[in-house]
Amino acid sequence: MKIFVVDNGGQWTHREWRVLKYLGMNTRIIPNTTPLKDLEVDGLVLSGGAPRVGVDSEKMGRNGEYLDEASFPILGICAGHQYMAQHFGGRAEPSGIPEFGKTQVFVDEEDELFLNLPSSFQAWLSHNDEVSELPRDFLSLAHSNNCKHQAMKHLKRPIYGVQFHPEVEHTEHGYEIFKNFLKVCEEMR
Amino acid sequence: MFDPSKFIDESVEKLREDIDGKAIVATSGGVDSTVAAVLLSRAIGENLLSVYVDTGLMRKGEGEQISKTLDQLGVNYEIVNARDEFFSALKGVVDPEKKRMAIGAKFIEIFERVAKGMGAEYLVQGTIAPDWIESGGELRDTIKSHHNVGGLPEQMELKLVEPLRDLYKDEVREVARELGIEVSERQPFPGPAMAIRILGEVTPESAELAREACAIVEQEIERAAADGEMELPWQYFASVLNVKSVGVRGDIRAYGYTVVVRAVQSIDGMTASYSKIPHEVLDRISIRVTNELNQINRVVYDITNKPPATIEWE
Repeated sequence: MKIFVVDNGGQWTHREWRVLKYLGMNTRIIPNTTPLKDLEVDGLVLSGGAPRVGVDSEKMGRNGEYLDEASFPILGICAGHQYMAQHFGGRAEPSGIPEFGKTQVFVDEEDELFLNLPSSFQAWLSHNDEVSELPRDFLSLAHSNNCKHQAMKHLKRPIYGVQFHPEVEHTEHGYEIFKNFLKVCEEMR
Repeated sequence: MFDPSKFIDESVEKLREDIDGKAIVATSGGVDSTVAAVLLSRAIGENLLSVYVDTGLMRKGEGEQISKTLDQLGVNYEIVNARDEFFSALKGVVDPEKKRMAIGAKFIEIFERVAKGMGAEYLVQGTIAPDWIESGGELRDTIKSHHNVGGLPEQMELKLVEPLRDLYKDEVREVARELGIEVSERQPFPGPAMAIRILGEVTPESAELAREACAIVEQEIERAAADGEMELPWQYFASVLNVKSVGVRGDIRAYGYTVVVRAVQSIDGMTASYSKIPHEVLDRISIRVTNELNQINRVVYDITNKPPATIEWE
């Protein structure tokens, strides 16, 4: 399958590419200004990044276009997740207590994304902002002690967001989360 | 998964296509640059010169080690003594980014000089993914400018070739093992070397202090790991902090600097957790550092993960 990574300027964008490559995907890192019509893919990962989506969402390029018009599944990570919430009418704001490094994530809804995963696992994070209010038509899938929405999904479309970073080595079950997302991509082809 | 032998074949072929003429390869004696040198030698053979710059900032015993490594590799090499040049470029510089930029620029200046001397048009570097990722650019924030990326001038005379750009350390090690490179398991060591393990101004004296502190930490941790007291961390070293504190040495008041011990577990350097070193090992390090290094009054252990910290202090 062809799964590309949209580069929003994250420290771990290239890690997402590596995980997808290790899972046998045909993958590339593309600028977030790439028009959707140039993308013949089976799924997209919207990376995290330095932009604070609440204040400089213009730096998020065409992420909105992908979210509005794509017919394939999308997984937003960190800033990608926050932008997704804001774009669909929710809110992303500075975190009361931002999380850096190790955090325990608790799964509230197993869903496709956390299928066959333990109900809580250790994840690594690095974020100043977070989703404070879910958009309509979204379901919260997980939380941590300091962040209400560690993961979410669109109720009608194959669109997912995670605040933590499944692509880094220190996050437990990261590969399984990617595999679960890829399963959705496979089914949608 | 990653296939090192496929990677070797593809990179050698690509290097042959990319390089038409002579090339120099920036060599530090570490895993990344040694792998780059071997790949290059497979691609262009005699047309390469491996250049090691003695900055005066390297680890203890590095000078003797490097000629041995290069002899074993069987590649043409040159060792450039640039100690004075580096110390004068670093005089009065305390800001970590300025240090890194000054060092990067100095390296390039030297490489251009050597390349000109032998008529080489290409500079091959062992740059790996975290180097350019953390150096930032456009959307990506600059965490720290790696010497092989951030110090590059806008108008560079040499054509840059970086065969390991998409690899992380664990993958480079796999390639190194496949190539039979002896230094494949060597711990990572930053390009700016001791300069970023001295918080504050870099002088021959402060470099010596950091070098000695690092050597003690390396010796004690390696011995403890060999004795089965602990697992060998991914990276382990000391930094000298410009924080002074009061002590008492031989019934006399002392006012000296602080050494921080850092040891982490990681796979790729992009996330790291601090190593849970046994207190007995920390105790031995502390006693040796404060007894053997007169100017050090206090030893602390860094218990921060990456993120939010980075592995090195600067």
